[in-house]
Amino acid sequence: MEQYVSKALFVHTTDTEKLLDRLQNHKSQAAITPVLIDTLLADPQKVLKDVDHVVVCGPLETIKAVLKLAYKSGFSVGVMPAKPHKELARFYNFPRNPDAAADLALRADPVTVDLVLCNGHPVLSKAIIGDIPLLDAPADVGKLRILLTGFRRIFNIKLIKYRFATAGERQIVTAASGCMIFHHHKGSMAARLVEDKSAVADGFASAVISAPISISKYIFFLLRLLNPTIRHERIPDAIGYLKSRVIEIESENELDVLIDGEKCTRTPVRCEVKPSALRVNITPALAKKIAPAEPARERIEVDHLPRGKELLKAGEKETIPFFSYASEERFQDLFAALREDAEINRIYLVLMVLSTMLAATGLYLDSASVIIGAMLLAPLMAPIVALAMGLVRGEEEMIKKSMLKIMIGMAIALLASTTITLLFPHKPVTGEMQARLNPTLLDMAVAIVSGIAAAYSKSFKEIIQSLAGVAIAVALVPPLAVAGTGIGWADFNFFFQAFLLFSTNLVGIIIAAAVTFRVLGYSPAIRSKRSLGLVFLILVLIGVPLYASYDRIVEKRIMEKNWKTERFLVNGKYIIIENADLRWQGGKRVVVMEIILRDVMTREDMNAFKRKIDTHFPGKFIIRAKTVYIP
Amino acid sequence: MKFLSLRLLLVVATALSACGYEQQPAITPSGRTINVGIIAPFSGSDFAKGEDGLKGVKTAIKMQPLLDNGDRIELIVRDDQDDPDKAVKALEELVKTEQVTAVVTFSSSGPVLAMAGIAKALKTPILAALATHPDVTKNNGYVSQLCFDNVFQGQVAALFVRDELLVDRVAVFRTSSSFYSRNLAIEFENKFTSLGGRTTDSIALQENPANIAALLNGVREKDPELLYLPLAASDVIAIIQELDQMGWKPRLMTSDGLLATVVSQHKEQLGLLDGLLATDFFHHYSQRTKFGKRATKAYKGRGTSYGALGVEGFAILLHAMNRCHDPADRECVNRQIRSTTDFEGLIGRISIDSDGKAHRPLVINAIKNNKLEYIVKVY
Repeated sequence: MEQYVSKALFVHTTDTEKLLDRLQNHKSQAAITPVLIDTLLADPQKVLKDVDHVVVCGPLETIKAVLKLAYKSGFSVGVMPAKPHKELARFYNFPRNPDAAADLALRADPVTVDLVLCNGHPVLSKAIIGDIPLLDAPADVGKLRILLTGFRRIFNIKLIKYRFATAGERQIVTAASGCMIFHHHKGSMAARLVEDKSAVADGFASAVISAPISISKYIFFLLRLLNPTIRHERIPDAIGYLKSRVIEIESENELDVLIDGEKCTRTPVRCEVKPSALRVNITPALAKKIAPAEPARERIEVDHLPRGKELLKAGEKETIPFFSYASEERFQDLFAALREDAEINRIYLVLMVLSTMLAATGLYLDSASVIIGAMLLAPLMAPIVALAMGLVRGEEEMIKKSMLKIMIGMAIALLASTTITLLFPHKPVTGEMQARLNPTLLDMAVAIVSGIAAAYSKSFKEIIQSLAGVAIAVALVPPLAVAGTGIGWADFNFFFQAFLLFSTNLVGIIIAAAVTFRVLGYSPAIRSKRSLGLVFLILVLIGVPLYASYDRIVEKRIMEKNWKTERFLVNGKYIIIENADLRWQGGKRVVVMEIILRDVMTREDMNAFKRKIDTHFPGKFIIRAKTVYIP
Repeated sequence: MKFLSLRLLLVVATALSACGYEQQPAITPSGRTINVGIIAPFSGSDFAKGEDGLKGVKTAIKMQPLLDNGDRIELIVRDDQDDPDKAVKALEELVKTEQVTAVVTFSSSGPVLAMAGIAKALKTPILAALATHPDVTKNNGYVSQLCFDNVFQGQVAALFVRDELLVDRVAVFRTSSSFYSRNLAIEFENKFTSLGGRTTDSIALQENPANIAALLNGVREKDPELLYLPLAASDVIAIIQELDQMGWKPRLMTSDGLLATVVSQHKEQLGLLDGLLATDFFHHYSQRTKFGKRATKAYKGRGTSYGALGVEGFAILLHAMNRCHDPADRECVNRQIRSTTDFEGLIGRISIDSDGKAHRPLVINAIKNNKLEYIVKVY
């Protein structure tokens, strides 16, 4: 059974005076005294004398004026919005139907709620400072609008410095595009991103701080917004969250503060909560929904906001960069692990010797499984990844140490494999050795993909075991072992080819890992480009011989494919070509082919055959033919 | 400094781009026009030879619009309907009235043999693009072949059938009234039997043969593995239709130009002719030369063998004219045609010796799944 007030003051504007009839004709038969808002504001003490309940109907500023008076005088308030006010309806769920609104406004069971004042201005739904892409949008906004609005702003986001202070005297200096202060965030987009049980009567206000430090982070943020079904435990990277009784905000430049959509004040702003300051008639359903479930406490989630040197970067440009950056504090564990990887220790030296010996033996045995074992045992990948990170962050110490570690590892590998070669009495060139003598651009592609995988695996602890796969994909020690074999045989072409493959793998991994670290947001706030430029230069230099090799592979494939359909009629003898194989020996092109024919090939026939090849095929070929006769 | 780097970059880029293209020196038009005659069937049962061949000729002119001395080529085109008498008349008219310097013909061996009879008297070089009969160049100083001749074609066909298809028994067909057909059938048969193969039948067809079914039933009884059909397209189609009705599926091989005629004039029969092999001049998928790639691009679309011979034939003629002090000098042009050495054709080098015989690659194509499929190339 609903309880209604016996009397009420009806505060209206000239436009809303007509609603008086509805109140007077309400079933409660409450005594309604109408008064114009201007009259009330002219002499509130006189008008509000002996008033316990006020029903207000008018625009937002009228409602706010009455609420301010309610905070001072203690009367309860029933609200009848003059016209559907979306923001108000979303936050307080006032009925749109005038009769239902009148019924709620005259109820005698108001709910006690807090009042948030920002520089003395009441905040009914939210206060916004700066640019907060999409956070202020309703939670049920469509995906298309998220995409359109989100991408429209993508190149206009700029971070500026802010200082936030809470009631708990916590000071946060950061860079952000903007922030939003609100009472409770039910039904807003912020609720999708920040899991919190905020309520209208918990004595706290909240602030969501938007700080996408890069376009890539902003895109991730948009993608997360697009998927409302996923509940995330972490606050997104681009977001910070404060909950306190008092939130003070200072910005680098003086900015407008939009309270409930209207410019009311400018920064610096102090938003404070007046606990249980108002008694307002709201629907029982909403009252239940936003009642405090447990005692609230101050909460500060600012780990993802820029700090330290990142602040310098944030203020550097007009708009945010494409890739993220990070100060060292952000990834302390990873950097510590990589520094350790750059240090030379006994285990590394022993493993280098063992893996090279294993690889060299496997190469002589022509055993792929033994060589794979050596690849898994080889510890070279760790300093290479550390070097990539060092180059990305311009950390000279890490670069020097990891380079030294790699060079010592290379020296050990070459020495160990040379020694094994000198000890072995036989000198077979096995298939596994030959496979490492003709590096091409395709090997570079393998190294680049592996470098990406290595950096990615290293960045996430949960997939660190995948590094083993990377080690197999791009073998580092076997080419070094083949190069060492070349030294042992004093065959420097052999050495050069295998060492070129190793260099390809090394440089490819470094470049790809460095770029991957950059994309993943590990580059420093203040970056050094010199070292990375040097590695790129080496990559280009290595690319030249690799391109030549790749060109050869393409020529070989095309020629071998075409020759399967080539036939010759030489001195009346029909020659069928089978299995043509193009090889390079001493810089010359040699075609080893199997020819099938019916008649005996004389020297004269062979010469005529060679002449036909020279006539019709560009470039000089040396022909080696095995003859199969048709009986 | 930045400006200097940009200029340096532009210079390097220009130099690099210049390396990628063969720069043709600009030719100033001389204002003189040289007439060249084209004789081909543009109507009748073999109109594709003329149409496709002329498209090829025009492609060659598009690639080289002027001779090196600036002279322009004017084409004078005559339709002989592949008839010897009309071909001779057209040749006389072109030489005497139009004063052509040379003639390129896409007619078959019969009309070209007829033209060869008066070529000596007319003293005009004739380049026979399609006439494969070996006698078109015999005792004749002015007719040169662009195509391979039947001796080469017959030998290759026999060797392919014997050594690659591993066929022992063939039945050979010929058209009694066709010089070309008779000659090629003999060349094939001689070579095939010399390789140890056996000819189960040697069938001479009359023009528009009646009762093919009875004929084929007789052939079938001797169980040949392959039928060799150096016949006109309409006869080959008639035989294959009958084989289809009989439910007999021996292997089938035909000769040059037939697949081009089928593709151009009898597309609807491609399904019926599935599996048909043929010696030929060109296939798009055969490894092409640089010239071949440029010509294919200029031709716009996949040309037939006739189109390919049109491009090659005219390019050779232009090449010969360019080597003469006066490109309109018939004697010189004739000499130069007959001393063409390693000219870059579409799929390989072409040489024409002093007897007017061409030495060029041959391809073997087949119809498979309604398409022309490339099998092998023979040099």
